[in-house]
Amino acid sequence: MTGEAKLIVQGLSHHYPDEYTGESVHALDNIDLQIHENEFVAIVGPSGCGKTTFLNIIAGLLPYREGRALVDGTEIRGPGPDRGVVFQEHAILPWRTVKRNIGHGLEIRRVPKAEREKTVQEYIDLVGLSGFEDRYPHELSGGMKQRVAVARTLCADPVIMLMDEPFAAVDAQTRITLQDELNRVVMATRKTILFITHSVEEAAFLGDRCIVFSRRPGHIKTEVKIDIPREDRVWKDMVDNPKFTEARDNILRLVRSEVTNDVDS
Amino acid sequence: MTTITEFSVAIQRRFGRQRLRKFILGMIPFIVLIFVWHLNSIFVWLDPVEIPPIADVWGAIFWLQSDCPGVIAAIEGHGDCILTNHVSSSILRVILAMVVGVPLGIGFGILAGMNRVVSAYLEPIGVFMNSVSGIAWIPLAVVWFGVGWETTLFIMLNTIFWLLFFNTMMGVRAVPKVLIQGVQTLGGTRLDAILQVYLPGAMTSIITGLRMSMAFGWRALIAAEMIGGDSGLGFMIFVSSSEFKTEEVFLGIILISIIFLATDRWLLVPLEKWTIERWGLVWKPT
Amino acid sequence: MSTADSATIRRKSLKKTITDSRAIQLIILLIGVVILWSLISAIIERPDRYLPSPMTTLFSSVDLLKKGVLLSFYADTLNRLVIGSVIGIALGIPFGLLLGLNRNIADMFYPLMNFFQSVSGIAIFPIIVIWFGNSNTTVMIVILYTSFFPIAFNVLSGVRSVPMRYISAARTLGASRFQIIKDVLLPGAMPSVAIGSRLSIGFAWRAVIAGEMLAGQAGLGNMIFAGQELDNTAQILLGMMLIGLTWIMLDHFLLRPLESDTIERWGLVQR
Ligand SMILES: Nc1ncnc2c1ncn2[C@@H]1O[C@H](COP(=O)(O)OP(=O)(O)OP(=O)(O)O)[C@@H](O)[C@H]1O
Ligand SMILES: [Mg+2]
Repeated sequence: MTGEAKLIVQGLSHHYPDEYTGESVHALDNIDLQIHENEFVAIVGPSGCGKTTFLNIIAGLLPYREGRALVDGTEIRGPGPDRGVVFQEHAILPWRTVKRNIGHGLEIRRVPKAEREKTVQEYIDLVGLSGFEDRYPHELSGGMKQRVAVARTLCADPVIMLMDEPFAAVDAQTRITLQDELNRVVMATRKTILFITHSVEEAAFLGDRCIVFSRRPGHIKTEVKIDIPREDRVWKDMVDNPKFTEARDNILRLVRSEVTNDVDS
Repeated sequence: MTTITEFSVAIQRRFGRQRLRKFILGMIPFIVLIFVWHLNSIFVWLDPVEIPPIADVWGAIFWLQSDCPGVIAAIEGHGDCILTNHVSSSILRVILAMVVGVPLGIGFGILAGMNRVVSAYLEPIGVFMNSVSGIAWIPLAVVWFGVGWETTLFIMLNTIFWLLFFNTMMGVRAVPKVLIQGVQTLGGTRLDAILQVYLPGAMTSIITGLRMSMAFGWRALIAAEMIGGDSGLGFMIFVSSSEFKTEEVFLGIILISIIFLATDRWLLVPLEKWTIERWGLVWKPT
Repeated sequence: MSTADSATIRRKSLKKTITDSRAIQLIILLIGVVILWSLISAIIERPDRYLPSPMTTLFSSVDLLKKGVLLSFYADTLNRLVIGSVIGIALGIPFGLLLGLNRNIADMFYPLMNFFQSVSGIAIFPIIVIWFGNSNTTVMIVILYTSFFPIAFNVLSGVRSVPMRYISAARTLGASRFQIIKDVLLPGAMPSVAIGSRLSIGFAWRAVIAGEMLAGQAGLGNMIFAGQELDNTAQILLGMMLIGLTWIMLDHFLLRPLESDTIERWGLVQR
């Protein structure tokens, strides 16, 4: 990759102050990471290792004191439209229609209505929600809601897209479809993405690189490159792609060793 | 004959069979009541001072307005238009109190609800104020403002402010944090968060507060007019009662409930329905 | 190891009580309010008339206690509340049940009830006064009238909300109409009885205060009203505080626990 990285994280640590004990929870330990343009980076790690903490810091939702984090060359100070977040679930506004949820970022930026509607329609089509423009979230299935959430973030055109287990709350069948679709969307939009997941398969299927976090305090244990062209990443072909299975098993082993360690001590 | 059938078919189509049946059934007790009331004025089982004849209650309208020079004068609040003056002074107070109290209550409710610490401290104050609010403030208000407009207005304002404040605050507090974060990460400002997340998120709770403030506020206002007022329907029935003009009291009471029912049914309930449609759904925080 | 742990936990719970406890928060709040109140009463002119200081207010209670009236006012008011709301509820429950059990009767009386409910207890006061004079009876009727409707409406909707399948199930077991009422509908409506009772008592509380004020019957309501006539603002403030606090205590320690217990125990009605 050439050029300046889109996301640069240097020596980032985080301690949650514990109001009750006065002691603190050491959640992140000395993270160094760079994400370049058009890269899809997946992070896996045992539960409670600090993945969400990391993402929230990048999103600007959690202030940090130790280390540095820059997006597009500027230090992160609070949330902003240059970093779009897709949350796990229930984060789209229940009182807005699909269309108005997706266009919300543009509305906030005061983009004129005509232009907004055009852009929104593109993304509605892209995520396959045509025909549902005027529905309210409670009329949609879980998978469709997450599509709205993805489209909402895409539509705001962030420098980097942050996704925290976006497909964890949908059923297995839908998840596979959504993963395939996300792939297609990534190909079409060439977005830079930081993707957090519990699922090793998901990480290996989607990521160009997969970062494995250790258990708490989370630090980067290793990094696994998955060198499969995007066009080839379709579930029906992937299952017997040796590169995929190898990467998956590799990551699985690394994660498992973290989890087992956890149990042993 | 055919026209009658046609007519009834038309009505049934317009209102639906069920609603028509309900309407007719619901009217029966009213008719019986009015009939018995009328019989009483014929046979005088109870003294007219206790139960005045219907005709007298109806007549009280004209009697109270007898010196009123005309409709224009009534609207302008001519001193001799007694009934319309009392009605309009009550209604005006409701409108004034709503215009001031609703934005204040909602505004402060949102600000307080946005901050967990502040709202934790203000919650008991809200609970306390709502449990003394209304009637128990009347004597103090009289001390502060004397008998008249200020006292009655204050009582109404005080009642609706605390109800709206409390309901809004609780509604805002129940809005999931992730919705706010979503708007923030889209680049939304604090104002965006207030207008697009907190306000609609608390909307069901605010509407409940609005209906409660009308219900409690109206009652408190009537009481305030009785004890600390010099005009209004409450004042009118109180004075009439002390002069044993029972027909005026009946008239006043009927007007009081009609005004309340009309505001609730034709203003607040439609508003509730409209906002629910407008905001998309009956959204309740989970 | 374990001692260190328990020490941490102890420290934890100590700090937790300080930062999080509602009681501590309440005390801080109370101190804040008292300070603010004292300040305001210190700067305004003629505080004794407009806003006596917290101390003055407190002392006025000593005064009233000495005269022996405070407790008797208190007892009078509570007495009226209990008797009035108990009768109101006792009448409201069977009425609500009757309406809940028969759709025709319900459709017939619902609009009438709605109308009379909107004629609030306070508004009918001037009529009741003509009928019964400024007497205790008048106050009792106002209370009774006010507390009747919330319970009746709640019982009605409670009976209605018992799922049909429970009734069908009982019927397939061969239950008679009476048995269905006794074993299915009544228990099913219990949570609504609890919710309605709490509402009724709440409305009754306001009605007692208003009734005492208007009819001049001894009690907390009359105490604040007399405070105004006697130019004794401290007495008004004291009365208001008692009115507010009594309701909060009553609600918090008696009615709400009763309500949630009933809902928990009888809450078989799922929606
Ligand atoms: N607000 C907080 N205050 C104190 N400790 C916290 C807070 N949020 C998280 N933690 C702690 O920090 C650690 C990391 O939490 P985090 O939510 O980042 O984990 P995660 O990797 O996202 O877990 P999961 O996979 O279960 O989502 C956990 O041990 C958690 O208990
Ligand atoms: Mg997480």
